[in-house]
Amino acid sequence: MEITTGVVLAAGEGTRLRPMTANRPKPMLPAAGRPILEHVLDVLVECGIKELCLIVGYRRERIQEHFGHSYRDVPITYVQQKKQLGSAHALQQVEGEIEKPMLVLNGDRVIDERIVEDVLAGFDGAPTLSAIEHPTPMEYGAVKVSGDRLTEFVEKPETDDFRLINAGVYAFDPSVFEAISRTDRRGGELQLSDVIETLMDDGPVRAVRTDGLWADATYPWDLLFLTRELLRRGRVSPPDRDASVWVAESARVHPDATLQPPVVVGADSEVAAGAVLGPNVAVGYNATIGANTTLRDVLLDSDCRIEAGATLLDCVVGQTVDIGAGTVAPGGPGDVRVGERVFENQSLGAVVADRASVGGGVTFAPGTLVGANVDIGTGVHASGTIDDDAEVVR
Amino acid sequence: MCGIIGCVGCGDTLGTLVHGLSKLEYRGYDSAGVALGGDETLGVLKRAGELDALRDALDGQSDLSGSVGIGHTRWSTHGPPTDENAHPHQDCTGSVAVVHNGIIENYQELRDELAAAGHTFGSDTDTEVVPHLIESGLESGADPEAAFRAAIDRLEGSFAIACLVAGAASVFVARNDSPLVLGLAEDATYLASDVPAFREYTDQVVYLDDGEFAELSADGWRVTDTDGDPIEKSVETISWDAEETGKSGYDHFMLKEIHEQPRALRQCLRSRVDELRGSVTVDELGDLELDRVHLVAAGTSYHAAVYGAQMLSADGIPAQAHYAHEYASSPPPIENATVVGVSQSGETADTLAATREARRRGAETLALTNTVGSTMARECDDAFYIRSGPEIGVAATKTFAGQQTALNLLTQVARSGTADRELVSALRDLPGDIQTILDESDAEAVAEAYLDAAAYFFIGRGLNYPVALEGALKMKEISYEHAEGFAAGELKHGPLALVTANTPVFATVVDDDELARKTVGNIKEVEARNAPVVAVTDGRSDAGRYADHTLEIPETHPRTAAILANVQLQLVAYHTAAKLGRSIDKPRNLAKSVTVE
Repeated sequence: MEITTGVVLAAGEGTRLRPMTANRPKPMLPAAGRPILEHVLDVLVECGIKELCLIVGYRRERIQEHFGHSYRDVPITYVQQKKQLGSAHALQQVEGEIEKPMLVLNGDRVIDERIVEDVLAGFDGAPTLSAIEHPTPMEYGAVKVSGDRLTEFVEKPETDDFRLINAGVYAFDPSVFEAISRTDRRGGELQLSDVIETLMDDGPVRAVRTDGLWADATYPWDLLFLTRELLRRGRVSPPDRDASVWVAESARVHPDATLQPPVVVGADSEVAAGAVLGPNVAVGYNATIGANTTLRDVLLDSDCRIEAGATLLDCVVGQTVDIGAGTVAPGGPGDVRVGERVFENQSLGAVVADRASVGGGVTFAPGTLVGANVDIGTGVHASGTIDDDAEVVR
Repeated sequence: MCGIIGCVGCGDTLGTLVHGLSKLEYRGYDSAGVALGGDETLGVLKRAGELDALRDALDGQSDLSGSVGIGHTRWSTHGPPTDENAHPHQDCTGSVAVVHNGIIENYQELRDELAAAGHTFGSDTDTEVVPHLIESGLESGADPEAAFRAAIDRLEGSFAIACLVAGAASVFVARNDSPLVLGLAEDATYLASDVPAFREYTDQVVYLDDGEFAELSADGWRVTDTDGDPIEKSVETISWDAEETGKSGYDHFMLKEIHEQPRALRQCLRSRVDELRGSVTVDELGDLELDRVHLVAAGTSYHAAVYGAQMLSADGIPAQAHYAHEYASSPPPIENATVVGVSQSGETADTLAATREARRRGAETLALTNTVGSTMARECDDAFYIRSGPEIGVAATKTFAGQQTALNLLTQVARSGTADRELVSALRDLPGDIQTILDESDAEAVAEAYLDAAAYFFIGRGLNYPVALEGALKMKEISYEHAEGFAAGELKHGPLALVTANTPVFATVVDDDELARKTVGNIKEVEARNAPVVAVTDGRSDAGRYADHTLEIPETHPRTAAILANVQLQLVAYHTAAKLGRSIDKPRNLAKSVTVE
C-alpha cells in the first residue's frame, strides 16, 4: 500500500533542551549547520513522500519561515497544535485534512532513510511502527516483537529485559483518528504510545525491525554528538571543498585559516587568518570568526561573532552570541547540573544559549550552562548554570 | 492599475486563467473577468468584487471553454468597480474581447469618434474604445492582426493590452509603458503582467519592451515591432520558485513577509559586505559616478529615499530625496547628479516618469529595485537589486528594509575613503537583530492597548524621521485609522495641537546623544498633554522612563537602528489592523505597484 503523505510532529518545545529552546522548538535546533527538522524532511523527500504536513505549535513562525511553502519541491501544509497536549493530540489536529494512509514521525530526531523505507515497505494497511535496537531502552518506549508483530509496548520500562525501542516512525491509515478518540488522556495528555495500546487491543499491530542512524538529542550537549554523527556521514548542505571540508559558496575563509576535517562553514560566514576550525566543527550562517581562534568539537549556530584569540572546545553555541577576545572554554569532561539532576563526566565545555554576550577573557569551567540573553562581563570565570537574562560580573 | 493573464495551448484554459488571476490579485482586486475563444465565438464572464465573485459566477458556467483565453483583475482608474466596467471589454458584435492595464489618454476623443460612427458603449472605461476600434478595422476588411495593430496605432497613453478575436486562435498583445511578460512552456504559451501568474508552469520568460507586439498561438509565439518586422528576444530563466508566493501557515502575506526580513536582508548583504576587511563592494555599482545624488520615489520607497539622502549627505555627498511625481513635472537642476529611482516593482509609473525625465536631461540613472527585468531596471543605466524576494502584501515591509539596507551599501560605496567598520559589523548583525525583535516584540500588546485611539502619531529626529513617516504610512494603509508622522522638532510648531489623551505618540529614540535627548524632550511635551507615549528605543537613553510602553530594539549603529525601529512599527500596524479585522493584504483603494500616474 503506497504512502505519499508524511506527517511530521514538530509542535513541542523540547524542554529538556533548555536554554537552547528559548526562541525555537527542538526541531529547529542546529545539527551540523542546519536544523534537525531539515534532516528529517530530507529523509522523507528521498523516500518519495509527495506531500508534507507539519504539525507546529511552540514558536511555529521559526519553522514556517525556514521552510516556507515547500521543501525540495514537495509542498508543505502547516497545521497548528495550539496546546501541546501530547503526540496523539498533535496527530488529531490533522483529522479531516488527511484521508489516506500516512507516515507519521517526530520532527526532532535525526534518523536514517532506511528506517522510513522499511516502514513504508512493511505497511499493508494495519498500523505499523518501527523497532530499533538501542543501548538504553529504559529511557524510551520499549517494545517486544514476535515475527512482524508487536507483542509488548512499555513506555520507559523499569525492567532491563528490553532490547528494542519504538523508533517513532509510524504508518497509519485514517482509522487511526478513531482509535485516538477512543484512547484516554493520561495526566491531561494524549500520547501515541497510548494509542498504540488501543490499536493492539483492536488487532495486530505490525512492528518493522529496522536499523540505521537514530539519534535523539535529549540534552543540549547531545547536539555535539548529533553533529559528529552527521558530519561523519556528510549530511551537510554546503559543497565540499576538500575531503570532509564543506564551505558554503558565500562564505569567506582566509587562506591562512586551517580547516581540519570534518568541518562545515555555512553561508555568509567569515573566518579570519590564523583560525583553526575542526575537527568536528559546524559553523552556521553569517558567523564571524576572528583571527587566531581555535574551535574543536563546536556547534556554532548562525549570526555569532567569535573575537580574536578565543578558544572553544566541546561547546554548543546558540544564535546571535558574541564571544569576546581571548575567551577560553577548555572543554570537558565536567559535571552538568540540570535542575536537580547532575550528569557526571560529560564531555562538555559550555553551552551558550541565544543572544548571550560573553566579554573578553572569560573562562568557562567544564559543563557550564549559559542561558539566553545572559551578559557575562570581561574576565569572569563562569561555571555551573547561569539563568536566562542574568548579568554576571567579576 | 490591473493584472493581465493570457494563455494558449494549456489544456484547462479557464483554470489556468483563474489561477493566474489569483496570483495577480495584488495588482488590483475590485473586479475580475475572463474571455475564452479559439473558434467562431467568444465566451466572456466578468464580475465586480474580489476574484471569489468571479469564481462563484463561473460555478454554473460549464459552457465557458476555449483553446485561447485572457483574464483581468482590475483596480479602478476610470469608472467605479461594476460588472460593466470590469474587463474584458467587447465591441458591438461581441466578436472582440480586450483586457487592458494602463490609461488611454486620448480615449474621450476616440470614444466621441466611435460613438458618432454608431458604436454603442456599455461602460465608463477608457479601455472600451479598443474593441470598438478593432471592430471598425474588421468591418473594413482587415484581418484580425491588422485590425489590432491599426487600433493600437490610434492609442496614446500607457497600456498593456491583450485581445481575442472570434475566429482567430491567437492572443494579440501590445505593450507601451505597462509591464508584460511572456512565459514559455513546451506546449503552452502564457502572458501576464507579472511572472507569478504562470510561474507554476514555466521558468522561461520573455520580457516585452515598449512598442512591441506579440502574437501567441498554437504554433508558439512571435514578437514584432510597430512595422510588423520580427524582433529577436532573449529568453530568460527565473530563479525563484512559485512556492515562495504561498502564505506558509501565516494568517497574512504581510506577517509572513515581516518574518522573512532576516532572510531577505541576508540575501541583500550576501557577498557585498566583508566584516574582517571592513569593506563593502557592490558589483552592480561598478564605475557609477556618485558625487551628487537625487533619489526619486513614491510611497514607502520615498521614505527609504529620505533615509538614503540623509546618510549620503552625512557622508559628504550632496543628496536629495524627491517625490517622483513632483520630480517628473518640476525637476530641480540636475547638476551632474546621478538619479536613483527607488521602486520595489520597478514599474511604478510615477518613478519611471522621473527617471525618464532625468535621462532626457542627460543624467546618469540607477534603478534601485527588487524586480529583475522590470521596466526601470532595463531603462536605467544601471540596476542595483535589493534581492528581497517576491512581496505579495500590498503594504511593503521586507522590501522597505531591503531598500534601507541597499541604501546603506550605496552610501558606503559612494563615500570617499574606506567603509565605516562599525557600520559594516552592524549591517552583518541586522538579520540576527531583526530575528530578536520578531521573537521578543511586545507590539501586539501595544496594538491591543490603543485599538480605540482617535489617531496615531509617530515622531523621530534625523534618521528616525523617515521611520516616523513610514510608521504612520503603514498604520494608515492597513488599519484605515488616521496616522501621521512628524519630525519630532516640528511637533511644537503646530501638530501638538492635535495631541490628546486619545492619540498615542510613537517616538523612536536611539542612542543617548544630543538628538536622543531632544526627542526625549518632545516626549515630555506630549506627555504633558496627557498623550500616551510608546517609545521605540535601544534603552540607552532614559526615554523608557517617560513612556507608557516600550518597544525594545537591540543596541546597534544609529543607521541600522532605523531599520530595526521600523520592524517594531510594522508589527504594531499589523496587529492593529488584524485586531480591527481589516483586509491586511489587500487594503481598500490600494494596489501593490501603481503603474498609472
